[in-house]
Amino acid sequence: MTSLPANVVPVGHATVSPEAKAPRSISINGFRISTQKLPILKAEPIEEMTNKLGIAPPEMIFGDNFVAIEHEKSDWAIQFNALDALDLVDKTGESMLQVAYSREWQQSREKTHEGIKEVVKPFDWSYSTDYKGTLHPNAPPFEKTTKPIPVELLKRPDPILFFDEVVLYEDELADNGIAMLSCKIRVMPGRLLLLSRFFMRLDNVLVRLRDTRVYVDFETREVIREYQSRECEYEKVRQTLAATRDDIPAFMRDPNQLSEVLPVVGKHSERVVLDG
Amino acid sequence: MSDLDRAIEQLRACRLIPESQVRELCYKARELLIEEGNVVSVDAPVTICGDIHGQFHDLMELFRVGGDVPDTNYLFMGDFVDRGFYSLESFLLLLCLKVRYPDRMTLIRGNHESRQITTVYGFYDECIRKYGSANVWRYCCEVFDYLALGAIVLGASSELEPTASSANDTTQSTMPIDDGELETEVLNSHGEVTMSTYRPRLRSSSNISTDSRNISPPRDISAAPGQPGMPVRSGAPGTGASADGNGSATTSRTGAVLCVHGGLSPVIDSVDKIRLIDRKQEVPHEGAMCDLLWSDPDEIEGWGLSPRGAGFLFGGDIVKQFNHINGLSLVARAHQLVMEGYKEMFDGGIVTVWSAPNYCYRCGNVAAILELGEDTSSGGTVSRSNGDYGRSNGILGGDAANRVVSPGRRYRVFEAAAQDTRGMPAKKPVADYFLVS
Repeated sequence: MTSLPANVVPVGHATVSPEAKAPRSISINGFRISTQKLPILKAEPIEEMTNKLGIAPPEMIFGDNFVAIEHEKSDWAIQFNALDALDLVDKTGESMLQVAYSREWQQSREKTHEGIKEVVKPFDWSYSTDYKGTLHPNAPPFEKTTKPIPVELLKRPDPILFFDEVVLYEDELADNGIAMLSCKIRVMPGRLLLLSRFFMRLDNVLVRLRDTRVYVDFETREVIREYQSRECEYEKVRQTLAATRDDIPAFMRDPNQLSEVLPVVGKHSERVVLDG
Repeated sequence: MSDLDRAIEQLRACRLIPESQVRELCYKARELLIEEGNVVSVDAPVTICGDIHGQFHDLMELFRVGGDVPDTNYLFMGDFVDRGFYSLESFLLLLCLKVRYPDRMTLIRGNHESRQITTVYGFYDECIRKYGSANVWRYCCEVFDYLALGAIVLGASSELEPTASSANDTTQSTMPIDDGELETEVLNSHGEVTMSTYRPRLRSSSNISTDSRNISPPRDISAAPGQPGMPVRSGAPGTGASADGNGSATTSRTGAVLCVHGGLSPVIDSVDKIRLIDRKQEVPHEGAMCDLLWSDPDEIEGWGLSPRGAGFLFGGDIVKQFNHINGLSLVARAHQLVMEGYKEMFDGGIVTVWSAPNYCYRCGNVAAILELGEDTSSGGTVSRSNGDYGRSNGILGGDAANRVVSPGRRYRVFEAAAQDTRGMPAKKPVADYFLVS
């Protein structure tokens, strides 16, 4: 089989442990934050999801997991779940990548197996998504902004009242790398920060990070949502690192470290102030 | 007590053996494996296991549930290493058991038993970390090159002996029909039956295909609903070929079972063709050997290319035809994570067995092993030699000889080892002041 090798899982990586009773939640200043962590889906729900999506879901599909932030008074809510994230994956195969040895593989097949040409259900099997969360249908809309998330306030060592990390899906790309969508959230007395990260490394081809950050200020009820996409060819990253590091394989498995060297290819921010 | 027994004892306690001993072990293992054909013949009864992935404590749980070596005859379908924290302990223990009890332990190669894959997915790093150099990794990789590519299980019984179990209300079961035979049984880790299926007993060759008492559940236990049940398998249609005589793997009444890590290959139409591969090499990126370790079954017709641009997918018709030509009743494979631990597809023509519970310590899935019982009714049809085994003896004759009955299948489902036996704390998310990441 086939991700992140278990022995290099970054500290604090979400796990399914028996004591992970679901869902967990906390309420603060009219906001309710909740998370749910359950095992991967069984065969029957996977079948249902396959029918809904029209593509085969990733092999590790935490379809019952979610992270949600709700503000009841203003009807505003945002939720992060696997189904909605996967619904944004390209289902046509237009943006389909090919594994590193694909050309070599296909050439060797041309002679012996001309009959087998049909690619089964082409789709973006890297499960790349630009998912930014699912908003409540009645939620007041976001507006574009240039206002950044107040990093200085988030650097303060305020007590963390609630923390969780939730994996939504993961695929080992048939032992050609990893694709993983996960969320983490920390709630402090005055604010919260949520990070939803899609990480994809196709070995010897491409490294991709797509981050969505949601910041909520409980006092002002201001919500800022920032989306940032980073991407670089695998070989370029490797060469950049080769000069300075001798632990490249480990580095290439760590999205946190990679985020520091991958160039930003897309970015935008939105904000909304909720009624009190 | 021999050195080998001491090593087994030590590894069972999850303690590594010295590098010099690993070297000797790998040398002995290679001497043994080089004598094995690409396709090892194994006589039932046998317990078939899927991916382990270095989850040592779960491997101990597997032995607890399935019985100890050499009391139980085991067949592991590869992917011993990578992902988990204890690839070394797991693989070295299995290898010790192979050397100590060669006839009770069959190991075949998975796609992770390769230099390239182990450098990316953890085993190489583990070797460096635990032994301080790449030597042990090199010894192990040399052993990988000698592992068989598949196994054929012969002499399995078509009928299971029912497990004595306190019948409780939660047991899902079809009522045993008058003369029905027990075909599948699913047991939890306490040995309690949670599900069983029956098929009508074969009474005479003339009424097999007209038996209309289709009351057993679909053969594909875990498949989508709506598929008609197929309690009786008739000869594969369309081919007109008979399974006996020219097949490479026949048989008593129960067809043989092919075990392979990944699946079938478009360049392999008979088991004999697997025997012709020169296997003693790193797993190549293409060709028959690659396919056997990498391909996957899928709900398609014929052969397809994986969207990834490399690798094959094969449909139910391919499995049916392959089984028919080769006198097989079942292909058992591993390679894909399945939440329930096992998954039968294509009217029971192929099964995926997955033996790594709570995969990567975070999936929450259960694992399974597959037990095939010994057919005691057809004594004498199974040859015990390696590589040249019994052909149909013609006793069944006529139609019945064309009909290959699948073996009775007992799945033992088990969960991850209790946290406290695993020697590491349960992982909980640690609150951290993440900002950019």
